[in-house]
Parts: sequence; C-alpha cells; structure tokens
Amino acid sequence: MKLAITILFLLSSSKAIASDHSHDHMNHSDIMHHSHDGHLHEELVDGQKLEVDPERFDRFVANLTDAQVAVVSVKGMVCDFCARGIEKTFQKDKSVKKIDVDLSKGKVLVAFDKNAAINFEDIKKKILANGQNATGIQVLSI
Amino acid sequence: MGIKTMLILISLAVLDASARPISYSGGHTLMMFSDNMKDSIYYHFSPTYKFSVGIETIKDHYFDDNYSFLRGTYLVNRKNTQHSQRNLYIQSGISIEDISSNFYGIHGDWETRRWFVGFGLKKLSNKTIDYDQQHAQLGVAPYLGEYGDLHTWIMIKTKKNSLNGDWSTYPVFKFFKGNALIEFGYNNKTEWDAHYMYRF
Repeated sequence: MKLAITILFLLSSSKAIASDHSHDHMNHSDIMHHSHDGHLHEELVDGQKLEVDPERFDRFVANLTDAQVAVVSVKGMVCDFCARGIEKTFQKDKSVKKIDVDLSKGKVLVAFDKNAAINFEDIKKKILANGQNATGIQVLSI
Repeated sequence: MGIKTMLILISLAVLDASARPISYSGGHTLMMFSDNMKDSIYYHFSPTYKFSVGIETIKDHYFDDNYSFLRGTYLVNRKNTQHSQRNLYIQSGISIEDISSNFYGIHGDWETRRWFVGFGLKKLSNKTIDYDQQHAQLGVAPYLGEYGDLHTWIMIKTKKNSLNGDWSTYPVFKFFKGNALIEFGYNNKTEWDAHYMYRF
C-alpha cells in the first residue's frame, strides 16, 4: 500500500510538473489602462498601486493581447493546494484566457477576453465556491 | 519497503502539500492511507465547499477485517484572513456492512503559509468494542513556495489510539505539487504512516 501511495504521488506530481501552472486555454467600472513602458507594473497609469508581484505579473501578461486582466484580492488563500479549485472554477468560464495565483500577495490574476463583461459579484461567488473570500478587484486593459 | 528505499523515493519526488477533508464546490478527492492499524482508500465528492460525502474502504490490521464506511464531513466554521485560515470540521461514517460499526469526530486546523496547527478527535464503534483516536500536529514550511512550486512541510505529530494506549510522537514530512499531496511519518513503534491525496 505504501509503495502504491508513493508511486501514485510521483506519477501525479510529474503530471503537474509537465504542465504550465499558468494555464492558457480556453461592467466593471474600475477598468484602468496598463502601461508597458519600462515594465512599471507596480503602478498603473492613474497612479494607483498594483499590489501584485511585478515579476509574476510581467510573466502573466507577456503574451497577452486584447485582454482585460482582473487582479482579485483574496482572503484565506494560504496554500497552493487550496487555491487549485479557484483555477479550476475560472477555467470553466469561456471568456477566461489565463489564470495565475500570487500566494505571497493573496491575489488571483484572471485574463478575460477584451469584450467580456467582468462582474465582481460573479467573481466573488467563484472564489467563495472554493471557500475563500474575494475582497477587492482591479481591472487592467492590456 | 525499506527505509532507505522510501527516503530515496521521497528525495527523488518533485512534490507539493496541505490536506483538507472537503474540496472546492464540485471537486472530487481520492485519498489513500496506510499505517500499522489500517490501509484505506477514500473517495469523496464535495457538492459545496461546506461538505463532502464519500466512501472509504478499509483493510483493518488490528481487527483483521475488511469493511467500508459511508462518510460525511461538514465545515462548521471557517475564518479567512489575509494571511491565515482557520477551520473546524465535524465528520461521521457508518459501515455499509454493519450499522453498529460507525464513527463520529471533530477536527480543526489553523494555518498560514509558514505555520500549521491541527488536531482531531474521533470516536469509533464496532460490534465488539468502542474506542477513540486523537491526534495533534504542528508544522512549519521551511521555505515559501509560489503557486505551482513544490511545497514542503516539516511537522511533528502526536497521536493516541485507545486500542494501543500510549501517545506516540513522531516527525511527518508533507509534500504537495499541483493536485497531488503526499505525507510520510515515521515512528519506531508504529513504523511508517503514508497518506496520499489527489484532487480532480
């Protein structure tokens, strides 16, 4: 039994390693335009601070065009394993192009189609379905 | 399996970890557990993040018996903060073969990205005896991995089964990556505990 457990884990974690953890697939009022100049992703063009790891954000938006990125603040997202459901829930939304999680800042990054209507109440429900609480959102146009 | 072989397998593994008895809404979970008392396979489905229902098939080493439980777990209380989460669960199960075999229990945890504290109490009955199990666990993450990394916990676990009597305290290593989690504990009296979890 213990050997089976070990082998299963090795197989399942190998599968996770093989896949990119930022998954390409598949009328919010506070939409802001995002400056690519000098990769100043810590600050938006209106001067508001973007509270997300700048390197992680740069990687997230690197190949994105014609998209809106929602940066959602989440409480209770203390581990990778418990954030997995958030990714799975958003993946079911056809207007979602890409998802990532910044555990250190407690943020979920969701890239939507340019024309998608981003509804914070709907996002809150999706986060709550995973057992966490969404407390705020910033939306950037890429 | 020898200790050296097990350690080699662990060190070869590129892994990640954090165990929860309820998944996200619509989530499925497969668990396998093995220690000196039992081997078990447990599948559960979570209609919401508040509760899960499932079935556990057990090979009981102590009573030399095989049986299955229909199980349910309910999240009584959860407190989310920016840097922590606290949970309190109740659980129960009833044997498919014999309703006089059943259990109920409570367990809770509090964790941040760095620290973990958990406990559990479980009362079990079968046709011959009533007994209980208790455990407590304290863990620290030696490094803070990002989403998608291999996550590691070093823990100390203490547990008591009234069938055996004494408390036993031993180290536990927990790893998780992606949707898979594995946990190993070693005690010179009870030897290896192994726990695997996969969510889908």
